Amino acid sequence: MTILTRLEQWKEQGTISPEQHAHLAALSRGNPFSLFLELNVLHYAGVLAFVAGLGWTVSTWSQQLSDVLVLTILSTILAASFWYCFSRAPVWSPAETPAPSLIFDYVLYLGSLIWSLELAYLENRFHVLSGQWDFYLLASAGLFFFLAYRFDNRFVLSLGLSSLAGWFGLTISHWPAHQDGTYRQYALLYCLLVGVGGALLQRRGLKPHFFGTYLNIVANLLFWALLSGVFNRQGYGLWFLGLLIACGASLAWGLVRQHFAFVAYAAVYGYVGVSSIFLRGVHDQTAVLGYFVVTGVAMLVVLVQIGRRFGRPA
Amino acid sequence: MRLYSASSEETLRARKLLTDWAGEGFLTKAQYQRLEQETVSELRTTNVFLRLVLFFFTLISVGAAAALFFVVFLSGPSQQTAGVFFLIFAAVCYAAAELAVSQARLYRYGIEEALAVCSVAFLCAGMQSALFSGSPYLPKPAQFLVPAAGAVLSLWIWHRFGLSYAFLAAMIFVLFLPGDWTLSHSAQHLIVAVFYATGLVGVAAVRSRHRFDYLEEGYSLVEALLWLGIYLAINLQLSSFNLLAQWWIGTRDASEFARPFYWATWVLIWCLPPIVLVRGLRQKDRSMIAAGAIVAILTLASNKPYLGWPRYTWDPMLLGILLTGIAFFIRRWLARGPGGIRHGFTAARLSGKDKLWMNVGSTVLGPLSPHSITPGPQTSSPDVRFGGGQSGGGGANSDF
Repeated sequence: MTILTRLEQWKEQGTISPEQHAHLAALSRGNPFSLFLELNVLHYAGVLAFVAGLGWTVSTWSQQLSDVLVLTILSTILAASFWYCFSRAPVWSPAETPAPSLIFDYVLYLGSLIWSLELAYLENRFHVLSGQWDFYLLASAGLFFFLAYRFDNRFVLSLGLSSLAGWFGLTISHWPAHQDGTYRQYALLYCLLVGVGGALLQRRGLKPHFFGTYLNIVANLLFWALLSGVFNRQGYGLWFLGLLIACGASLAWGLVRQHFAFVAYAAVYGYVGVSSIFLRGVHDQTAVLGYFVVTGVAMLVVLVQIGRRFGRPA
Repeated sequence: MRLYSASSEETLRARKLLTDWAGEGFLTKAQYQRLEQETVSELRTTNVFLRLVLFFFTLISVGAAAALFFVVFLSGPSQQTAGVFFLIFAAVCYAAAELAVSQARLYRYGIEEALAVCSVAFLCAGMQSALFSGSPYLPKPAQFLVPAAGAVLSLWIWHRFGLSYAFLAAMIFVLFLPGDWTLSHSAQHLIVAVFYATGLVGVAAVRSRHRFDYLEEGYSLVEALLWLGIYLAINLQLSSFNLLAQWWIGTRDASEFARPFYWATWVLIWCLPPIVLVRGLRQKDRSMIAAGAIVAILTLASNKPYLGWPRYTWDPMLLGILLTGIAFFIRRWLARGPGGIRHGFTAARLSGKDKLWMNVGSTVLGPLSPHSITPGPQTSSPDVRFGGGQSGGGGANSDF
């Protein structure tokens, strides 16, 4: 029985009204057919291609073109983008706010990318901060967070989160004797900062729908940092304990909130970490392969049980 | 022939549509709850994340089990012996996949999919080892049997299990067929295109009988893949394994191909995008529209290399302006129609799935994109030090 037949049946049973039937049957036949997603993808690809071309042109011809010309062009685009966004934006609300137009989000994204490009140009040509890139990244992260919350834009929020991560990383790279361990500790600090910040903002009702973005980025970064510690030859005990705690928390969160991405993170990252501990120093092929067979099947059984008990199709 | 009954798959489709409609407010909660009870399927499904993880662990288990078998029971087997056992593993995996569906009623559950994928991999490895390794006396043209077998089994899995990516795998296997038949590059491109065109005719004929039913989406995706495949086979600037190197170094040498063939393909790459786009728009087929848009962009991007014209750094800017302009114009044109609808098309969002895709896309693509905005300086101007993508989001330079 096709969906159209079902709709007819539901109308006859009185489960849905004739108006609902007409509307849903038309939707099932693709009438009207929405081009929403396709137009958004075209806008995104257009902005990205434009900024990539602009960056490529500026980087290739920066010595032939005068600095004034380059900066004037970049500043004009930047000012026009932000003027458009600030002049068209609806009144700010802490709740989820739809964009006033389809191109709005992409104009903001364009402005944010041009901002990055202009800063890069300024530093490379004039060395204003003598190579202290980290301050640019911190300032950019601050601006992107402000713009993301002002205009309710996940693209720019992701830019802000990655700029902040870049600031942490670049800051450490300036230190004379930075090591992997330092990166790991600062990755944890970043996760703590972003995770707690995201949670606080959510609790205060400030764009609570952004919380998923925070959590996903923090979870992946945290697991990578913990795993890199577990792979250490020495002193991996604490990292392993941290990994187990993170896996437990991720699993619990995923099951309670029915966010199965977190169940998947716990399963995959946890399996990799535990396997690296168990197989450390084991050189017997049979033992290694036997381990993968037994644990692989065990994971399948556990995940099927989880799926049965908590799962829902998505 | 298909493992799942039509009624089961229609029920699952109806259930998904109900969820979407309820999310968009087209149905009340009471209506949704009542209709949900009428659309209960006996098939066991799961969500996309568990599906991926189950797929991953099934691959690990099967791969390790096969390797363990060789380590424990066969020490240093000949290639032929190993090949025979690979073929047995292929049969076992396929049987297990069938059993997982017929007995456990798994549907897009990851486990049965991974077993089916393993059966294709074992079949190819087995045939290669059993027939062609260590037997230099076999004529080389017979080697096409390996990709041919892979293509046939992939097609069968697509047909039996309804997995669209199995069809894509079959298309990839087809790419390796003509290499053993002819050395002529032109002939190789032509043979692949003919294979895909034959498939296209077959799919187009079959899918007309499945308008508005559960198979429509699958056939739509397959047709779009075939159009894309034909395009890539005839676009001589794209269909090469060392594509990136060629693009940066310069255009692909036209003398590699006969001049009439080369220019015929140039004409074809301009003819295909409008054909695919118009067909997609007429059928209101999302996959075909996407395929049409992709091949149109690829044609614009590969036109200069085709003609041997120089590339300029501002070419991507012009492409970006064109894409944004087209999207802006279409949106405005649609919005000005009565009720925001023209010729049955609208720019408004009608499905919750679109919003979900946008949210996932913006989270994933947002931080990734800046890495591509400032490519390194070209070798022609070595003094220029600007570039490197270290600004803003681009500064997220994998330090963590």
